[in-house]
Amino acid sequence: MSFFDQKEPPRREERLGACIAMNDTVHNLAKKKSCLHDDGERAFNQGSICLLLPALAILNSIPDSVVLIHGANGCGSSSHSQNANTRSGSFQRTGTGKDALWLSTGLNETDVISGGELKLAPAIREADQRYRPKTIFVVSTCVPGIIGDDIDGVIAEVQPDVSARIVPIHCQGFKTKIWATAYDAVYHGIGRTLLDEPDDAAPEAAQGDAQDAALEAPTGAPQATVQTASPENDQPNRTVNLMNISSMGRVDELELERLLKAIGLDVNFFPVFASPDGMFRMTKAALSISTCPTHDDYILKHLHEKYGVPYQLKHMPIGIENTNQWIRDIAAFFGVSDQAEQLIAREEQELQAALAEFKPLFAGKTVFVSAGEFRALVTAQLLTELGFTVSGIRSFHHDEFAEEEYKKLARQSKDDYVVNIANVQPFEEANLLQKLKPDLFLGHTNGNMTAAKLGIATHVIYNTGLSYVGYKGAYELARRLYRQLRNPAYNANLAKHLRLPYQTEWYQSNPFQYIKTRGGSLHG
Amino acid sequence: MANHVFVERPRYTCASGGAVATVTALPGGIPILHAAQGCAGNFAWTQNGAAGLQVGGYCGSLTVPSSNIQEREVVFGGVERLHEQIGHTLKIMDGELFVVLTSCVTEVIGDDVAPVIAEYREQGIPITFAETAGFKGNAYVGYDLVLQSLFRDVLQRGIPTVKRNVNLWGIPPYQDVFWRGNLSELRRLLEKLGLTVNSFFTAEDTVESIRHAASAELNIVVSETYGLEAAKAFQEIHGVPFLSLPLPIGPSATEPFLTKVGEALALESAVVESVIASERRSFYHTLGPLTDCYNDFDLQRYAIVVGDGNYAPALTRFLADDLGWLPELVVITDPHDDDKQTLLQARVAASPTGLTPQLVFESDGSQIIEHFRRRWPSDPQQKYKNAFNPAFVVGSSLERELAATLGAGHLSVSYPVANRAILDRGYTGYRGGLRLIEDLIGQIIAGR
Repeated sequence: MSFFDQKEPPRREERLGACIAMNDTVHNLAKKKSCLHDDGERAFNQGSICLLLPALAILNSIPDSVVLIHGANGCGSSSHSQNANTRSGSFQRTGTGKDALWLSTGLNETDVISGGELKLAPAIREADQRYRPKTIFVVSTCVPGIIGDDIDGVIAEVQPDVSARIVPIHCQGFKTKIWATAYDAVYHGIGRTLLDEPDDAAPEAAQGDAQDAALEAPTGAPQATVQTASPENDQPNRTVNLMNISSMGRVDELELERLLKAIGLDVNFFPVFASPDGMFRMTKAALSISTCPTHDDYILKHLHEKYGVPYQLKHMPIGIENTNQWIRDIAAFFGVSDQAEQLIAREEQELQAALAEFKPLFAGKTVFVSAGEFRALVTAQLLTELGFTVSGIRSFHHDEFAEEEYKKLARQSKDDYVVNIANVQPFEEANLLQKLKPDLFLGHTNGNMTAAKLGIATHVIYNTGLSYVGYKGAYELARRLYRQLRNPAYNANLAKHLRLPYQTEWYQSNPFQYIKTRGGSLHG
Repeated sequence: MANHVFVERPRYTCASGGAVATVTALPGGIPILHAAQGCAGNFAWTQNGAAGLQVGGYCGSLTVPSSNIQEREVVFGGVERLHEQIGHTLKIMDGELFVVLTSCVTEVIGDDVAPVIAEYREQGIPITFAETAGFKGNAYVGYDLVLQSLFRDVLQRGIPTVKRNVNLWGIPPYQDVFWRGNLSELRRLLEKLGLTVNSFFTAEDTVESIRHAASAELNIVVSETYGLEAAKAFQEIHGVPFLSLPLPIGPSATEPFLTKVGEALALESAVVESVIASERRSFYHTLGPLTDCYNDFDLQRYAIVVGDGNYAPALTRFLADDLGWLPELVVITDPHDDDKQTLLQARVAASPTGLTPQLVFESDGSQIIEHFRRRWPSDPQQKYKNAFNPAFVVGSSLERELAATLGAGHLSVSYPVANRAILDRGYTGYRGGLRLIEDLIGQIIAGR
């Protein structure tokens, strides 16, 4: 039975053996299988995010939709930040910047006692009548999860009276510590509800039937060059799905589209900013391409199993060699390797010439990287290509998709360095950075403050307004780092006049002291 | 009118979020969330998008210690995890005041945190707690609950009253994006009256001054809606009376503010009058040179004001009474009970200009345009018509679409403020009035 036959997707702890608390080194990780890792827990924690937040980041971008958050009035307030991305993203794609439309059922004490279902049905009906959306995403949170609201039951009951398609998204934050489960939660809702072709779908969209091309193992690149012809016009289907769950802005989408067009492919992006009525088009593509395996495996496997769309789930196109490999695998699938090699050679030559201006400043500088696992590892590879020496990496979680990336990093560096798996936990980071004193730190959004207050030059590793991906991204990132390193005075001044909220003794302790292994003992 | 089945784009986060923001604004304040792992991140992202680019504090954002309870604790209870978390927090974090804040999940599962906190308090640890489940209310409620906890557990009891000591609150940190500037200006004015002010959250405040807050003669709450439960608790526990006054913006509102404080403390009226006179002189001395351009560019505007229970009446009265603008529609976007609604209505209606803008309580921003069209019907076919222009919308950043629809200018003041960077700017008092004029007119002439 498929995961998609269940109401909720499985937790990544079970599905992928993902873990969040670990202290290791890059050379060690390059040798281990991820299933052999000993996940731990922390006896001291700082807050992080839950799956609701990245899920909302995707849902808030989807046009003609309403996001109805079923929970207390604060769940979903992160939308205020995501709204900036929705406004700029819709402006870049349509010329009009629109506010995201999110609603809260605002469960109160009475609802907690009497159940929230009573509020949900009228909320869906009112949202449908007032805003006339194509889709209503009903997002369930912690409280309905505990008091036992059956949101799927309510949806089934009201759907006949409601013209919008209602999509349940399950986001009970306490249920999983791996917030990447958010992507599964969103793809699960889309996969179960939005992939059927609407009756009034535009005819030109329905190109090519589902394919049954051979498929390699999930982490292997598809080798098949078999092309099925579209029944209408005998032209081979060259339309690909490019998955973006909001880890890339429009500028990065355009870079990847440019590269794929250069080898003769047409690109559709899913699911951010994609019309709900057009989601079914992802079932018609010749190939689904992931831009980050951690994000996309759940839907790509579903598209293959149910609709026969083969997929590529390997490499993230951040870093020069990674971009080369990403293109090569796609090109091999379509039998256009020669074109791809010409493209790669041309792009690399131009890029290397352009980077020459920055490399002398980077040479010998140490860098510490912190982000979601795949993003952190591929960015570290890019930074090595730019001439930095990686002195440490922190990843938000660890799972099997990254095994190959640790191997790449180990090959790049003969010196070993620390890899800390942590769902943020800046106290460990502060301790590590104080010991390692890197010249530069790249952290996720909301993740640069610690390094900044320690006086280290910083740059954000992910921001949908900035370019990171492909050859252009490599250049633009280098250009921004060059700028940061030329004058890190903002951070240097902070370090002189502000302190982090940790006791002096903490910096002398083992940074991993509070990680408990399964046996239950604390590190010494 | 507002529906009751959902709130559109709520302009606040939950009680826990308001509480975390409040604790992070206290000197050396360290919140300890007893919550699922995502609450802290939700608050950080919310501030990132809504609080004028201010995220965190001494120990905010993702630095906040949190018990990060999981399904296991939901089944078996989270008290043990909390105990471990507090113990280790005290070993790692360097704070002056620790506040444990409970959340939806830990309150639904019935974790009893009071005995845990009592244990640490007995050891002399400066720690308290507040039960701030999100379903108990919004960020304003969280602010009030934290103040109640401070008053109950942190303030020394039974200390003698010190004449001319006052406490000042009613401006929720971060939820009022201009909290620093707003508190500082009111501190400055009260100090000018000869008072010693504890305001909890400014750079001048210390944990020591907070501990001695019960020595005050009077608590001044510059809100008619927020922080009032805490004021009652303070009075009950420490016997200090409170004065609840509207948030004063500009000379017309600040003068009665200072007068009422003076009366409540039986200050010499000559002192109060001389402070008012010198401030008013300075205000108009500064404003004077704008007058040529104010007239030449025809800078008077019709206005729609959208904001919370503090800002909406205060901004409306400033625009009408001090700036001579024409507010037509006033929208209060956060929930208030009937008595408060009546009180806020009276504030808006009391303008000495005789203007009577319509006040509506509407949580959903998309409905404001409908209220406006009912208030100011317009026939596009008419050749001569008294249209609603030139117009200005003073609201939150969610009013940008409304302003664009009306062809009006726009300034974000009330939460969320996504499109401005705010550090210590404030709109209260005399100096705040000048800042607000600069910002309003700056928006109108930005393309000049």
